[in-house]
Amino acid sequence: MPIIELKEISKIFGFGDATTLALDEIDLVIEKGEFVAIMGPSGSGKSTLMNLIGLLDRPTYGSYKLGGKDVSRLRTNQLAKIRRDRVGYVFQSFNLLPRLNVLENVALPLVYKGVGANKRIKTASALLERVGLSDREYYLPKHLSGGQTQRAAIARALVNSPDIIIADEPTGNLDSESSRVVMELLSDIHKLGNTILLVTHNPELTRYVNRVVYMHDGVIVHDENTPIGEVPKLARKALNLFQRKTEEDDLAGVSALMKAIPTKHTTKKPRAKAKKPTSRSKSMKRIKK
Amino acid sequence: MSITRNIRSAAQSLKYSKWRSLMTMTGVILGVLSVITIVSIGEGVKRQVVGQINLLGSDLISVRPGNLVTRDKNGNIVKVNQISSFAFGSGSMSDSDLETIKSSSGVKTVVPIGLVNSGVKLDDVQYNQSLVIATNDKFPAMLKQTINHGVFFDDTDSNKHVVVIGKRVAENLFAENVPIGRTLTIRGVEFVVIGVFEEFNYSPLAYGTDLNQAIAMPYAAGQELTGHNQLAQVLVRPESVDQTTAVIAAINKKMTLAHGGQNDFTVLKQDENLSVVSNILKVFTAFISGVAAMSLLIGGIGIMNIMLVSVTERTREIGIRKAIGATNRQISEQFFVEATILSSTGGAIGIGLAFVINAVLRIVTHLNPVISLEVVLISAGVSIALGIVFGVIPAVRAARKDPIEALRYE
Repeated sequence: MPIIELKEISKIFGFGDATTLALDEIDLVIEKGEFVAIMGPSGSGKSTLMNLIGLLDRPTYGSYKLGGKDVSRLRTNQLAKIRRDRVGYVFQSFNLLPRLNVLENVALPLVYKGVGANKRIKTASALLERVGLSDREYYLPKHLSGGQTQRAAIARALVNSPDIIIADEPTGNLDSESSRVVMELLSDIHKLGNTILLVTHNPELTRYVNRVVYMHDGVIVHDENTPIGEVPKLARKALNLFQRKTEEDDLAGVSALMKAIPTKHTTKKPRAKAKKPTSRSKSMKRIKK
Repeated sequence: MSITRNIRSAAQSLKYSKWRSLMTMTGVILGVLSVITIVSIGEGVKRQVVGQINLLGSDLISVRPGNLVTRDKNGNIVKVNQISSFAFGSGSMSDSDLETIKSSSGVKTVVPIGLVNSGVKLDDVQYNQSLVIATNDKFPAMLKQTINHGVFFDDTDSNKHVVVIGKRVAENLFAENVPIGRTLTIRGVEFVVIGVFEEFNYSPLAYGTDLNQAIAMPYAAGQELTGHNQLAQVLVRPESVDQTTAVIAAINKKMTLAHGGQNDFTVLKQDENLSVVSNILKVFTAFISGVAAMSLLIGGIGIMNIMLVSVTERTREIGIRKAIGATNRQISEQFFVEATILSSTGGAIGIGLAFVINAVLRIVTHLNPVISLEVVLISAGVSIALGIVFGVIPAVRAARKDPIEALRYE
């Protein structure tokens, strides 16, 4: 059963001459229980895509079905409620609230859902135990190490039992040991049947996922399934090209990878496009006027 | 998100920046404090006046020099003339007026209060705090004042050089409680102390004069010293209470005639004294309330200002909260409650301080300020309202932030 269905999704930023096309008619279907890595250089549209899937933003054109329900035209507050009930976020910079202790941070999504205090604490506490932070419940985020903070953030993302978990560069601010712990935690969560979307620059991390989507200039240029535990061909190419040292090297690696991919619109069917003009192309004309 | 949860969370974030919160509240604190204090002083004075009126009886009429009030045709006070209200000794009344008042119809007793001077000598010590008055034997009865030690002079003493002194004079000048038989010198003439008054209640009507500092001598003795007495006040009691208004009219008529049509005196009933006092208080209260209102307004703007700063500072927090599912309404509620808590805490501190000031005033002054429940409730209401009014803009701003941009905010 597909949990995410994107159809001809486009996102345009700006007005007039400053218009940029961040996403160009993206089609993407993600099944329940998939662990998908989304790769691509900066400006390729990964973040925009994640914001759309995570319902922080609405597409300019196209339709988005989350769990079979069309959510592409909902109003801000309805989006907030769906985010609350169905999406879990894990950020690169952790984004725990500095004034709340770990337990309160994890329980926060439940506050907005209107769950009673006792139940909130119980649920949050159980999740903290699952990520191995039982003894850190009353610590403030600033008293945790990076890896611990990210584990707490993962617990927060799980607290509403969401349909999808969006992890945006979750290891970007972590050392390699903490990165491994966090990725293994995500991997465990995936094994329990959760759907996870992972945005990353780091080809190494693709060994935890079962599908890799490559993006470039607002389109999906390549989409492959890969056995868990292996780094897929294209990613390995990038790995072999450069000895990974810093994030900049990662970026260079991904760029090299993108160059290595022969043609851009590999996943597209140009004939279909020619057959029926989409709403987007109509509107692009409008914009050009 | 429940309201209690909102309040707890707001209290938490205010506690996080304690000093800033306290500074922000200062305007509200001072505003509330000054309003309550001023209103309570006014209320206290009013109660004292009412108490005094009840004590002295509503039939007590006082005739004073100077034109204190303007009346309409029916004799109701329409205006209190502020300028001369404090003119205790404005000399438009003298001995002859006393006879005029005495001869008015319906007058039963008349007690003159003549002003002699304000300075006496004991041996070589000059004492200037005293208030030397010349009056007659009916003075204690008229003011329902008892003599603590000794006696008051009677009819037969009217030419004798005797005085009855206030408690403060006994304590301060003679340094003893019962200085009966001792002498003091007034304008070079020796007077014998024959009595000491019981302590007078503090009288707001006396406009700053304290009868506990009084040295009372027989009227004729005063005339002998000064040539003619300057009347500060003449107290009159009519033959019956019902006649009060008629007697006032009669005195007015006769006095106006005697003064050649010049209305340079004032005849007041006891309860009219209240309106004179409350009118003075009203002006005073209005002025301070204006200042306090400004302070509250500035306090409110200060709260709004700090809340706007806080919204900007916490942009990222807003982004996070929105990302994990807070609706715009839940975000705005959070900041709205925070502003309201800020202002109402300020109000509560202000009210608390007002009670402290109240206690201090009771100890160090003669004022008996009374904090009424009404004024407490009103100031609590106003301070809550301030937060509500000035919390709206920051709350709306917070709610309108775009989650994606807010998350990117450093």
